[in-house]
Amino acid sequence: MIKLVDVYKTYKGGIEALKGVSVDIDKGEFVFVVGPSGSGKSTFLKLLTKEEEPNSGEVYVAGKNLANLPRWRVPYLRRNVGCVFQDYKLLPNKTVFENVAFALEVIGRPRSVIQRQVPQILELVGLGEKLDRFPDELSGGEQQRVSIARAFVNRPLILIADEPTGNLDPATSVGIMRLLDRINRTGTTVIMATHDHAIVDSMRRRVIELEHGAIVRDQSRGIYGVGT
Amino acid sequence: MVTRLKYFLSETLQNFKRNVLMSVAAISTVAISLLLLGGVLILGMIIGNVTASWEAKVEISVFLRDDATTNEIRQLQSQVTSYPEVQEVTYVSKQDAFEEFKQLYKDQPELWEAIPEDSLPASLRIKLTDAAFTDEVASRIEGAPGIDEVSYGGSIVRRLLQINSLLRSITFAMSLILMIAASGLIANSIRLAIYARREEIGIMKLVGATNWFIRVPFMLEGLGAAMVGALLAGLVVIGANELLFSRVDDVLPFMGPILSFSFGDMLGVVVVLVVVGGMVGIVGSVMALRRFLEV
Repeated sequence: MIKLVDVYKTYKGGIEALKGVSVDIDKGEFVFVVGPSGSGKSTFLKLLTKEEEPNSGEVYVAGKNLANLPRWRVPYLRRNVGCVFQDYKLLPNKTVFENVAFALEVIGRPRSVIQRQVPQILELVGLGEKLDRFPDELSGGEQQRVSIARAFVNRPLILIADEPTGNLDPATSVGIMRLLDRINRTGTTVIMATHDHAIVDSMRRRVIELEHGAIVRDQSRGIYGVGT
Repeated sequence: MVTRLKYFLSETLQNFKRNVLMSVAAISTVAISLLLLGGVLILGMIIGNVTASWEAKVEISVFLRDDATTNEIRQLQSQVTSYPEVQEVTYVSKQDAFEEFKQLYKDQPELWEAIPEDSLPASLRIKLTDAAFTDEVASRIEGAPGIDEVSYGGSIVRRLLQINSLLRSITFAMSLILMIAASGLIANSIRLAIYARREEIGIMKLVGATNWFIRVPFMLEGLGAAMVGALLAGLVVIGANELLFSRVDDVLPFMGPILSFSFGDMLGVVVVLVVVGGMVGIVGSVMALRRFLEV
């Protein structure tokens, strides 16, 4: 599903974000990407949506080499890769329903599909009663659920989550992780960057650890860090 | 396709409503800058009328010798008529010239009572298609048989032509500068409106909207704002013509012909404003969006 071959990425200022990263992720896997700030986690995730491009090496997503993907095809790639962020990135002037519907509108889905799928997905994330609320009327956990609903509503092959629990308390985080786990069980590949030891340790999924832009550990059913 | 069209239109309208303040700011910026442009265009038209009316009075008089034969005169007349620069040639007989003289000085009969009726020379009066050809045509006629003198107020005409072309260049430069300034102002206010919504654009990119899908509502919005602004400016221009200029005639009759514009002229100005506004609206939106679409 996802394959990186000897990827190097250096930003304009000379910062080396990734140095020779090779990784293979199968369809349906749940992968944690861990490591300290600045270790290259976000860069790793941005390569998968072609928000950033590597200086050398190859990135394959769903069997396609992204280097050969023309600019105008990038939006179609992103329709297959849902994204969730630490700061939710919801539109404050749209309701919960509208925020999720927006993701379908901008890819040209007909109204009938939107009317059917949006309530369905919001039911799934546990917000079936709050369709008409605005983001600032929701708790952080609820906002993150809306954001996950938006990322998942058109059933992408891959879901990328960049520290989705970074702003949430442990109890709320558990709820979010259950949700991501449910999504993973539908066959969606989930890749999540995190700092949260407790979550990684309790889930016991594959862990890829980055340090200074290189993979220092790749362990199936791993924990956050050896000896921590 | 119909779904998309509906989406574009409803999105455009919603954006208008949600960003009332920004829309009003953009529309009024467009209206004011296009109003200035319209003012300069009308000033240009006034100056055009003035210079045209001056130049229409320029003509060449070819005074004929008393001993010129009918044949010579006829030949000269047909030759001059054949010049492409010549619009009209009129023969003024001695009798006509004297009548005109009498008319001109009818308050001072002592000027003409004493002289014989055939003392003024016959002449050909030549009207040109463009006063700029005066020098050239005059020198071409000079030296033909039967001619006494070619008269056209040479240096005065030349000075007049210089002033006129200077005036025209100035108004042209002013229109150009104002058009550029108006474009800049409009593009800038669109950029502000788009900047206020960069987050929304980022999310659209994130969920896989194509660039054109993002652009179209903004373009329609820019076009709409610019058109409304241009129409407002156009209404003011037409209103000014109806209320002010058409009344000038009553107060200052000699100014009348200079300040009278047909409805067609006015419509032309309004069309220029709407087209400039609309184009700048679209192009401005696309340019302003470029920064936010890269990712």
